[in-house]
Amino acid sequence: MSAPVLEADGLEVRYGGNLALSVEHLSIAQGELVGVIGANGAGKSTLVNALAGWSRGEPKASGTVRLDGRDVSGLRTPDRVKAGLLLIPESRLIFATLSVDENLAHAAHPRHAQGRRSYSTDEIFDLFPNLASRRGHLGGQLSGGERQMLGIARALRLAPRALMLDEPSIGLAPRLVSTVLETIRALVDDGLTVLLVEQNVKATIPVVDRLVLLERGRILAQGPTAQMQDDPRIAEAYLGGGAP
Amino acid sequence: MNFAQQALNGLILGHAFALIAIGWTVLLGTAKLVNFAHGQMYMIGAFVAWFVMAAWGLPYLIAVPAAMLAGVIIGWIMQATLLRLTIKQDLVSIMIVTLGFGHLLEGVAGLSFGSTGQILDTPLSLLDIYIGDLWITWQDVAIVIVTIVVFIALKLVLERSRLGRLVRMVAEDPKLAQLAGVDVRRVYLGVFAFEGAAVALAAAVVAPRTPILTSMGFQEVIITFVVVVLGGIGSVTGSYLAGLGLGFFTAFFGAYVSQAYATAAMFGVLIVVLALRPGGLAARAGGR
Repeated sequence: MSAPVLEADGLEVRYGGNLALSVEHLSIAQGELVGVIGANGAGKSTLVNALAGWSRGEPKASGTVRLDGRDVSGLRTPDRVKAGLLLIPESRLIFATLSVDENLAHAAHPRHAQGRRSYSTDEIFDLFPNLASRRGHLGGQLSGGERQMLGIARALRLAPRALMLDEPSIGLAPRLVSTVLETIRALVDDGLTVLLVEQNVKATIPVVDRLVLLERGRILAQGPTAQMQDDPRIAEAYLGGGAP
Repeated sequence: MNFAQQALNGLILGHAFALIAIGWTVLLGTAKLVNFAHGQMYMIGAFVAWFVMAAWGLPYLIAVPAAMLAGVIIGWIMQATLLRLTIKQDLVSIMIVTLGFGHLLEGVAGLSFGSTGQILDTPLSLLDIYIGDLWITWQDVAIVIVTIVVFIALKLVLERSRLGRLVRMVAEDPKLAQLAGVDVRRVYLGVFAFEGAAVALAAAVVAPRTPILTSMGFQEVIITFVVVVLGGIGSVTGSYLAGLGLGFFTAFFGAYVSQAYATAAMFGVLIVVLALRPGGLAARAGGR
């Protein structure tokens, strides 16, 4: 396996005095697509928020987060983004009052993104042709699927080294879910490293390389997808009693 | 004739109101913040301009940027102090702290400049223009020109520049802006510094119309509040139109009804407009 791009050690998050997340070790290799699954409240969003150093309230996070071996734990969210660690949060994807073009105009500064791939707007429109015809529209005028695409496109403009997506399938029609997940898979095949949080386990399994099962803020199991989908805890709780 | 003079007065007064309010418009539209020290910042701007000219004998063109620099410094210090409250959007505390800052500024100004009223004479305020029976000064012309230039420049910056896009991103969703790599704290600091500079510019340009006192400021806060709310919170174009409308209203009300009740009448207009159009004249997110 290639060198880890994103690693977390002893990552803990507390809300008030309550421990919401405790991850001893998590590692994602270059060009790997890792799916994080778990029930509601398992700590999936808390995990990616903590990795990004981002939260709506003020939970206290501790532990080490490394990006390409560099400790980024002490960095604030915008600085982690500049380093290449990006998060597309759940249901909060785009700037609705900015046009599609303006959403995409915000790109990584070449000085910060040295050695990383920053997608040009032409590449973005090749990847998401729907957006090309909506360039002048405000983000708020787009459909759910288009917003999701624009959210991903926005992140690609920021030259991610590791991209985290929190529930990208939420609120989308089944056909769009598979389109979004296949797009993410294609990006990974193109060299991107992705941590994907999903509740839609059935749709996630075909595209991810590895699964991490979270329960009550702890990693219960993790491993290659082929092996994990046979795990009875996953088969029974998420796949209706059997493998897909 | 009197009608034409009042119309001219209203035009100038309206531009003055809009210029005084522009900093707060951006502040409220971008950072969802209020600053009740706005009036005292106006007063400090006026006194710095006066001091630079009267005590140091420097020209008006130096006094204006000097006042703006003082405004930037005050705005920056205030926001650096308030940053935690800003991030938490703790509006009640921000209101109280800015009110406190206002009184602090008034005290410092009283100690520094004394409590005597002063006249901020500029080369322009002493030059009259007569058009038939109508009378204005070149300072009045400067008020109109500076206001128009500032509003056009601000609109261009907000809508066409990278900086403006960052400000609009923070205005819409500061948390998401962080995930786009935007340093929201720096944007907030910048917006407060801009507010300081803008209100000080307004003071240096508008204050020569009347005597200046270290106890002034309340009237300016009230005007700003009415203009910003009438214009639609955060709307630059709305603020300009509201300032203009309020200027005409104040001039005609003062001339034909009573100067003494002009402020009360302003609030009457505010209540009526908001009852008919709750979002103000042109509400729009992002300070545009």
